[in-house]
Amino acid sequence: MTTPDEPVAPRAVKKSIGLSARGNNRRALLAAGLLSVLPSWAGQRRKISVAAFPNVDAIIRAAIPRWKQRHPDIDIEVVSRQYIDHHTAMTTALSTSVYLPDVMALESTYVGRYALGQGLEDLAQPPYRVGQFRDRFVRFAYEQAINRRGEVIAVPTDIGPGTLLYRHDLLAKAGLTETDLTTSWDGYVEAGIKLKAATGAYLIGNAQQVKDIMIRSGLQPGEGLYFDQASRVLVTSPRFVRAFELARKVRQHKLDARAYAWSNEWAEGFKRGTVATEPTGAWMVGQLSNWVAPDTSGKWRAAPLPEKTFVGYGGTYYAIPRRAPSANKLLAWEFIQLLTLDREQQFAAFKSDDAFPALVEAHDDPFFEQPLPFLGGQRARLLWRDAARKIVATGSHKQSDFANEVINTELSNVMDRGKSIKQALADAQRLLERRAFR
Amino acid sequence: MRTKAHLLSILRLSPRLAPYVLISPFLILFAVFGVFPLLFSLYLAFQSWEPTSGLAAMEYVGLDNFAFALGDEWFWKSLKNTLWLAVAAGAPQHLVAIPLAVFIHNSFHRFRDGIVGAYFLPYITSTVAIAIMFSALFSTDFGLINVGLGLVGVSPIDWLNEPNSLKPMIAMVVFWKYLGFNVVIYLAALQTIPKDLYEAATMDGAGRWQQFWFITLPSIRPMIYFGVTLSVVGGLQLFEEPFILTRGNGGTDQAGMTAAVYLYRMAFDFNDFGGASAMSWLLFIVVVALTWLTNRAFRPRGAAT
Amino acid sequence: MKHTPGPLAPWMAYVVVGVGALITLAPFYFMFVFATQSRTDIFNLPPPLWFGDDLLNNLKILTERLPFWRNLGWSIYVALASTVLTLLFCSMAGYAFALMEFRFKKALFTLVMATMLLPSFMNMIPTFMIMDALGWIDEHRALYIPGAASAFGILLMRQFASTAVPKELIEAARMDGCGELGIYWRIVLPLLRPALGTLGLITFISSWNNFINPLIVMRSAENYTLPLALRSLQSTLNTEWGALMTGSAIATIPLLILFAISSRQLIAGLTAGAVK
Repeated sequence: MTTPDEPVAPRAVKKSIGLSARGNNRRALLAAGLLSVLPSWAGQRRKISVAAFPNVDAIIRAAIPRWKQRHPDIDIEVVSRQYIDHHTAMTTALSTSVYLPDVMALESTYVGRYALGQGLEDLAQPPYRVGQFRDRFVRFAYEQAINRRGEVIAVPTDIGPGTLLYRHDLLAKAGLTETDLTTSWDGYVEAGIKLKAATGAYLIGNAQQVKDIMIRSGLQPGEGLYFDQASRVLVTSPRFVRAFELARKVRQHKLDARAYAWSNEWAEGFKRGTVATEPTGAWMVGQLSNWVAPDTSGKWRAAPLPEKTFVGYGGTYYAIPRRAPSANKLLAWEFIQLLTLDREQQFAAFKSDDAFPALVEAHDDPFFEQPLPFLGGQRARLLWRDAARKIVATGSHKQSDFANEVINTELSNVMDRGKSIKQALADAQRLLERRAFR
Repeated sequence: MRTKAHLLSILRLSPRLAPYVLISPFLILFAVFGVFPLLFSLYLAFQSWEPTSGLAAMEYVGLDNFAFALGDEWFWKSLKNTLWLAVAAGAPQHLVAIPLAVFIHNSFHRFRDGIVGAYFLPYITSTVAIAIMFSALFSTDFGLINVGLGLVGVSPIDWLNEPNSLKPMIAMVVFWKYLGFNVVIYLAALQTIPKDLYEAATMDGAGRWQQFWFITLPSIRPMIYFGVTLSVVGGLQLFEEPFILTRGNGGTDQAGMTAAVYLYRMAFDFNDFGGASAMSWLLFIVVVALTWLTNRAFRPRGAAT
Repeated sequence: MKHTPGPLAPWMAYVVVGVGALITLAPFYFMFVFATQSRTDIFNLPPPLWFGDDLLNNLKILTERLPFWRNLGWSIYVALASTVLTLLFCSMAGYAFALMEFRFKKALFTLVMATMLLPSFMNMIPTFMIMDALGWIDEHRALYIPGAASAFGILLMRQFASTAVPKELIEAARMDGCGELGIYWRIVLPLLRPALGTLGLITFISSWNNFINPLIVMRSAENYTLPLALRSLQSTLNTEWGALMTGSAIATIPLLILFAISSRQLIAGLTAGAVK
């Protein structure tokens, strides 16, 4: 599902550069395992192991040649798994402290979760001192990796600035303009009603997406989504009431396709043009043009999310496990710096895999001004660059994932079974209070 | 052959020792791989643990996890779902598989492999393909089933999002997937029934129903016990099908969230390994109770298992 | 051939059973259809109904992104090893539980059953610790040894042996001076043949499809078995569904062959007149 903060990340077509690196690396991969946990002995080739998931693995492999220029004698070994498998394996490795990789890639939702524990190095401390690079990263991305104890547990490498993609042709047919969609959330829904009447198209894939963004709008930096710093439950606040009201309105007017992201139904909506807008991460354009709905090229445009809401849709981080072999930690840190602080590397990942750079320096390039044919020649990267800088970090809580599930359940009770919003949110509050301090 | 016989006679065992030798592989493997995980999860059920902090981060919380589990609405909801699905998906499997196996056994000779194979295929088909196929069949706007219903004037049903239709759908997929598996098991059992039993019965003038009822069913009774036990155990631990069909979250209103799916989510999504362990032991008690009941129902008269 | 019709009206029964078989075949058919389609087309609604022409392209992606044939080889190796060990261990224990009397029999059998009843995914972390302690991480034996005396297999063998192996036959063999292992090997095993076929088939399939155990212990892509390797194609967004389907379809072929062989065996076991 593509909700903000859901585990999705910006990466697109795998380029051959990553593939050729794999071939060279085969023998190294074969020996993966035992060696990586042992301190390096004299005479043995040193090796940094990096655990990742597609397509971060391709980005990492593509960086190996540049690493070799600096350290011809130190190999990089990439262990790649499906992304849920990867995070399960990382949880297992951290919990038992064995077979920890030197560098661990993490999807942004997992950063919040892992930040609660003490398994990852505090990179603010010597010898890393990541604080000195703070201003070189997109602000929210950096702040998102700071836990309650003030430790910096990971370094951002790519981000997913939120944007509203919409079908220009359908809007024109209904006599609407972009501002009708983006001025306010109420206006967005009103526009949806007109759009449906004029074209028959749904406004959005799923009404739940409206709620997902709205509960994130107007958050102060560090403010929690469902819980505040003292674990008080926040779900009966006006933020939730309004989000529920609008989502219900969308459903009542039959403005959503009731499809779930990455289902056939969802993909078909894009192909047939039965869904007119999609709030999503910037990386979605690459997916649409590459394979989801290539035939709709030129019909789409990108806009900011309604009511000047700025949220992130996924992103990737690198971390160093505390109990990883200490002899490799400095090298691991150097490799992370290559991946995250090197402008050229960040930029290459953007071009090859739609990994929107978390490094601010990499935003300063004519590439951002290039028109995008899929968006009818729009210079949308400028828009996304702007959005990236306005996103604020949200505080994480141990029960965030559970809270998300409870809220979605109550929302569907409200939308489909006529439950009152007040009752629904009160029920959610009760369930969450039981867990807040577990 | 001769050397083998020779070898066997060297390894001559006393009849008293023999059974222990025969079950020793089980005992050894259980001691090495089974005991520790059991103790670990039992220990964990009394701890609060943030796994990413390592083993040392466990904190003893007494019976908190059990108290939490017993008072948790979602846990009870998931248990109810589990029982519903176990019955709705489990019972038809056997009610259909037994007659089907008998019919195939008696009436198919030439195409027998083919027909058994066809029923067995769902068991080996990739779950990803199954998920795509079923979501395509049951899709609200474009699904073949709703298109079909539309032709006869029924308005589209939101199969995958409507809690009332989600459970039967999952039950159907489970039934469909394991039917062939049961047919194969019952076929294996049917083959052990001596033909002369039937011949004698026919001579005594017993009809087909009587033969089915008085010869076939009693003869395959141990296998029915086996099959039903598996369905009970498998049904109560049902995980993969609801997990995939509900995109891993249990579906709208958690209508498809079985206890196993909830346990998994508690541990790996909600990061509560202590609570999940306590729940898994509570679930274990339920499974034991129901398996014991099954056992009683099928206990051969006079025997001691 | 003598023909014995079933209890139902024959024609109707044949039709019902035949149609049922067709319905169960459909997803299987689609798996092969999807294997020949591009990922864009797989996501069409309705999905493609007939074969496309992307098979070679999918195969190319598959073999570029994965050491696919190697993974296939490991899967075969692990499944075979697992099947052989399981058949041996489970038939031994199942025979003992069905036909022998010994102390602690009841308690031991309860233990066997208990191992089947415990929810298994709470075991991930402790299993990982054991494998690490044994030095079995990234070793294939970690995939086929631990589960080789499965409760499922023991129960199946016990249930089957209790009907298929006549006690008198064993007593007679003992009288003739046959050793206990000899009885097991020369009398019991042949009688268990249909059930061995079933258990072998099921063990092979579950080993083939298992991804939890490989996920716990395997670390290098070169050593992955197929399910783990195919899963590693799935990314958050950019999954090569076509290649994934091609991989899944190819992965099913060995199971089909196996089924064809073992179902022959099942019937051979019957007609050989093993039982009286």
